[in-house]
Amino acid sequence: MIQLKRLNKQFGARQAVNNLTLAVPAGEIYGLLGHNGAGKSTAIGMMLGQVWPTSGEVLICGYDVSAHRRQALQKVGAIFESPAFYDYLSAVRNLEILSSYTALVSPRRIQEVIEWVGLSGRERSLVRTYSHGMRARLALAQALLPQPELLILDEPSDGLDPEGIHEMRQTILRLRQELGLTILLSSHFLHEVEQLCTRIAVLNQGWMVFEGALAATKTNEIWVRLKTKDFGLAVKELLQARMITRDRDECMIALSPGVETDQIVRRLVERAIPVYEIVPAEQTLEDFYLSLMERQRKAQ
Amino acid sequence: MFDLHLRNELWKLFGKKRTYIGFGAFLLAQNAMLLAFKFTRWQSEMERLLEGNGYLALEYVSALTVALIMLIPQIALLMPLYTALVGGDLVAKEVEDGTLRMILSRPISRFRLLLVKWLAGGIFSAALVVMLGVTALGFARLWFPWQGMFVFIPGQIFNVLSPADGLRFYAFSHLFMTLNACTVLGIALMFSSFNIKPAAATILALSLLFANLVMEGIPFFERYHQYLLTFHFHAWRLVFSQPMPWAQIAQSVCVLLAVNLTTFLIAAAAFQARDIKS
Repeated sequence: MIQLKRLNKQFGARQAVNNLTLAVPAGEIYGLLGHNGAGKSTAIGMMLGQVWPTSGEVLICGYDVSAHRRQALQKVGAIFESPAFYDYLSAVRNLEILSSYTALVSPRRIQEVIEWVGLSGRERSLVRTYSHGMRARLALAQALLPQPELLILDEPSDGLDPEGIHEMRQTILRLRQELGLTILLSSHFLHEVEQLCTRIAVLNQGWMVFEGALAATKTNEIWVRLKTKDFGLAVKELLQARMITRDRDECMIALSPGVETDQIVRRLVERAIPVYEIVPAEQTLEDFYLSLMERQRKAQ
Repeated sequence: MFDLHLRNELWKLFGKKRTYIGFGAFLLAQNAMLLAFKFTRWQSEMERLLEGNGYLALEYVSALTVALIMLIPQIALLMPLYTALVGGDLVAKEVEDGTLRMILSRPISRFRLLLVKWLAGGIFSAALVVMLGVTALGFARLWFPWQGMFVFIPGQIFNVLSPADGLRFYAFSHLFMTLNACTVLGIALMFSSFNIKPAAATILALSLLFANLVMEGIPFFERYHQYLLTFHFHAWRLVFSQPMPWAQIAQSVCVLLAVNLTTFLIAAAAFQARDIKS
């Protein structure tokens, strides 16, 4: 659905995107991760033909966005963080205006989409009277109007309250299940990405530092949360005994292969180090992301 | 689809309250000028001028004469202000508000989008000028009789016309006023297409006009008048000259059309080349 080939973008002296190559297959929910300024929005801008690449190629639905914009974006819907509308016009008028740039849309189709996103009854109200959550739903409606096959979501949960974030997550799942859309999701919410995406790419300072299936982010390393009287002493003791490989965050230890938690407890108690709590912790995407960023920092 | 895009652009333009600032300001200014003309020495001075030249003042202090008197400063000062305000908003305000990013995620070409905006701006300019002319004449008619037209622009035009000819030339002059308004709007749209704020686009357009106006007033630049935009903006007044200087009017129209085309092409090139980011 999306193919980026050796994509570069330079703003003055700053290289925003560096040699980015990735492919989003049809039917996936693909996560694009990275800190602020990592190049996610620039990459999305290039996918939508809003930002011109310095070099490289962007293919959407098989068409080069720069050369064949109309064909490339015909079946694409997009939502951006803080969706913007003509606040002084009604929701229906906004939908009519925005959808007209893709194709002629019937009033019946507009009504269908309004019902799908749950804005029935408020469609004639001025958008300036809408809450942030309602604006997010309207953004979704405008993205769905051209009956897209690909949906590009740039921080769709930004600024939403916890209930709104949950609702957005459910909607994204519905979009794939009910409409079979391919979705590119750029998000800061790692928990959200972990729940939704099947594949991710991580950007750091314009470079892609990881690309792969979400399952690949789960390592074989077993992390354990250890609460003890003296964590530093416990770590020293366990490292000497080669029972752990490393530690982090003043409470987490990574067990050496074949070592079980009861052996850890026994060793510490034998050395008169009291153990208050020991709990195996599954590695989350957040753990993976943070350790990836840490490695990048050290490499620099 | 093109007419649908144009209709939508008009919805956007005329849905905004600030689009009507110009219309409101014109109404206020016209009534203030009418009161000033009626209740100060302005009217009596004009009567003296007419009678000094052998005309019966009562026959020419009319709705048409007063409407034209009101139009001259409004076309020179207020019209550029409000068309520049709207022109400066056309692209830059959409970038600032984030709506342009929503539009450009769709398969419409930037050239087509800009062309639609330019046409919508042209329709706004025409509406503003027509409204200005109609209300000026309407308000003037409430206070003054329907009689002959007296046109006096110091150093340029002195003419008296029958009511029928006066109305004909009055209506005809609106074509050239619309061209002026479109030109100002086009200049503002050109600046608006660069990566700047809407207010900056408006100010730059007005600054350019102001610089032209100042140079036009400096004797040294008299021989370069044909290079100044504001000089060509006077074409609408020449309609009232006797005989009508067709060559000069045609030259001004050609210059203004060329300026319109040039500013649009610059705007299209700038808009096409720029990156649209949040």
